[in-house]
Amino acid sequence: MRPRMVAAALLVMMCPASSAWAQEDAASCEKCHEDRRFLTGKTETSEQDQALFVTRDLLLQSAHEELSCASCHEEHALGYPHVTDAIASQCSACHEAEQGDWAQSVHADNYTSAGDAADCVVCHTAHTVYSRDDERSPTHDLNVAGLCAGCHADSTIVGTYFSAPEDSLAAASVALYHETVHGTRVTDAGLEVSATCSDCHRSHRTLPGESPGSSLHHDSIPTTCGRCHDQVLDAYAGASHGAASPPDAGEEGEPGFDPPNCVDCHTAHGIVEAHEPNWFRGSVEECGQCHERLYETYLGTYHGKVTHLGGELAAKCSDCHTAHDMRPASDSLSSVHETKVVATCARCHEDANESFAKYYVHGDPMNRAEFPLLFWPWVIVTAYVVGALALFNVHTGMWLWRNARHAIQVRREHRT
Amino acid sequence: MTGTPGALMPPRRRLSSSEHGEGPYVWRFSRLDRTLHLMVIVSFYALLVTGIPLLFAHSRWAQSAIGLLGGVETAGLIHRLGAILTFTYLFLHLGAILTGALRAPDRRSYFLGPNSMIPNAKDWRDLKQMFRYFRGKADIPRFDRFSYMEKFEYWGVFWGVAIMGLSGLLMWFPEFFAQFIPGWGFNVATILHGREALLALGVIFTIHFYNINLRPEKFPLDVVIFTGRATVGYMKEEHPLEYERLVSEGRLESRIAPETPESAYRGWALLGFMALAIGMFLVLFVVVAALA
Repeated sequence: MRPRMVAAALLVMMCPASSAWAQEDAASCEKCHEDRRFLTGKTETSEQDQALFVTRDLLLQSAHEELSCASCHEEHALGYPHVTDAIASQCSACHEAEQGDWAQSVHADNYTSAGDAADCVVCHTAHTVYSRDDERSPTHDLNVAGLCAGCHADSTIVGTYFSAPEDSLAAASVALYHETVHGTRVTDAGLEVSATCSDCHRSHRTLPGESPGSSLHHDSIPTTCGRCHDQVLDAYAGASHGAASPPDAGEEGEPGFDPPNCVDCHTAHGIVEAHEPNWFRGSVEECGQCHERLYETYLGTYHGKVTHLGGELAAKCSDCHTAHDMRPASDSLSSVHETKVVATCARCHEDANESFAKYYVHGDPMNRAEFPLLFWPWVIVTAYVVGALALFNVHTGMWLWRNARHAIQVRREHRT
Repeated sequence: MTGTPGALMPPRRRLSSSEHGEGPYVWRFSRLDRTLHLMVIVSFYALLVTGIPLLFAHSRWAQSAIGLLGGVETAGLIHRLGAILTFTYLFLHLGAILTGALRAPDRRSYFLGPNSMIPNAKDWRDLKQMFRYFRGKADIPRFDRFSYMEKFEYWGVFWGVAIMGLSGLLMWFPEFFAQFIPGWGFNVATILHGREALLALGVIFTIHFYNINLRPEKFPLDVVIFTGRATVGYMKEEHPLEYERLVSEGRLESRIAPETPESAYRGWALLGFMALAIGMFLVLFVVVAALA
């Protein structure tokens, strides 16, 4: 039995009303709330009037079919005219855990400070509360993105709550999400398991990434992505970058060393699939953000130059170092360890042998200490080319000089 | 300048130096020579235009050049086709030398005579005289069929094709060559290929272009290598010994060529100017990229 159904059953048992009581109670509410004419003019706007129109059928179809009106509208049940318009404070009576999570969220913060942020009914609606497994529910996996976008892609709403300009890019994030792999799988393919907003941001305890308790905090991102991408998480967590997390772990005792996690390479909303050409070029530059010298030496080689010019076939960082399981060459599990490097080259260069793998993939001819085998040929060849060009141009230069002098002389003679 | 077969009207003065001076036209290059030179041009430009952006891949210029060529993979394909064309003209030429040598009535003069590209004592004397000429202390040397400069450039192409061909093949088929050389040999091949490319570019676009097209006697262009023929006036100025030999041996009549048709002349001149322009452009690119 699913936990949610257990909760529903418990809820029914715990709620103070018996079924008979509930029906009787509902019948008395129906007298007015199923009568549109009666409701007209009861509030300031016709929309609010419309919100008061709640039929019994509607409730019976919802996940709250067993609840009475008074289960939520406790004070209203005391009589008519209703003494208060307070609602929605009762969800926690049954949904205690969700209420607790929500209370810690940025939505709750804003609800308290600004008064109009997402509370229970904004997402779950007031009366037509369906299970999130029900496709009619706004919180169904296929509907969540639309639900969140209702506020987060609305520039006036976003402008009200987000003071920092980068946060107000929420609309752009939503758009980006819909253009890229997670979003298109949801909207185009109707794939429920593809990530939607709540999978990463959490449905109730939604917090910005700066907050330590957030699912999007730097330390939590691998776990958050790993909820679906579990093999990737395994590889990442065991390898150089993952093992170095959290930030204070440091590399070679360096304070503040901040290893990349999923979003540093893949971004948060504009996730590009690895077979797309743009992804690879970006990924090489991303690696270069920290591995500066390796990036530069790579760009000096055929692989790097072809990649830099938009080539898709030449080896990129991840082709040799793997995408997630990258380790130093000294690690026997590393794809570039001396026992594995030939096989790694052979992924592209089928007939690669041990001699082939002695190619300096990050060779730097100007680094004499590390690459003397490249430094001296580089010096000799450069000297030969510069010397030859200089020598040959003595001939051209002198000829040019002679002709110029001759031209001046001819002109002078012509004048006199 | 007098004493030429005077019945013919001097050709109209045109841009190309091979059309300057008194007529008539004399054949200078065979059809095979011209075809081979055209193959050298096409392959050289194909290789440079696709290779130089890769050599200076970091420059912004390279990005646009590769974009114009249709992407780095297309550029790579053009480069390899350029290599195939290079090997083709190399072997065609070697074959022509071999058959020429086999057919030659006098093999010694075939290799050591005035029509041979093999340097001789006169070339050395000409070179020394040329430097005296530069200093205003002598007349310009009187050249035979090939001046020492032409011989130098001819052997330069051999040298370049050997180095570029070998280092290029290493990089083209690294898995094969790794059976014989260690992997770092490919790093060295890359260095050599890139540097030798700059030497070739430098020699062709400074020395060759100056010697052939840009010096005052020839400015702005010489299309004799395309049309195969030049005026008697041109021959007397550039290759006086060859001209005098033809006259004294009575062979001038058999070398007389019809005037270059106007349309062909225009086409070759256009090609020549395009080659000059692209060459200057590439030199500019290299200078900009090297300074950046």
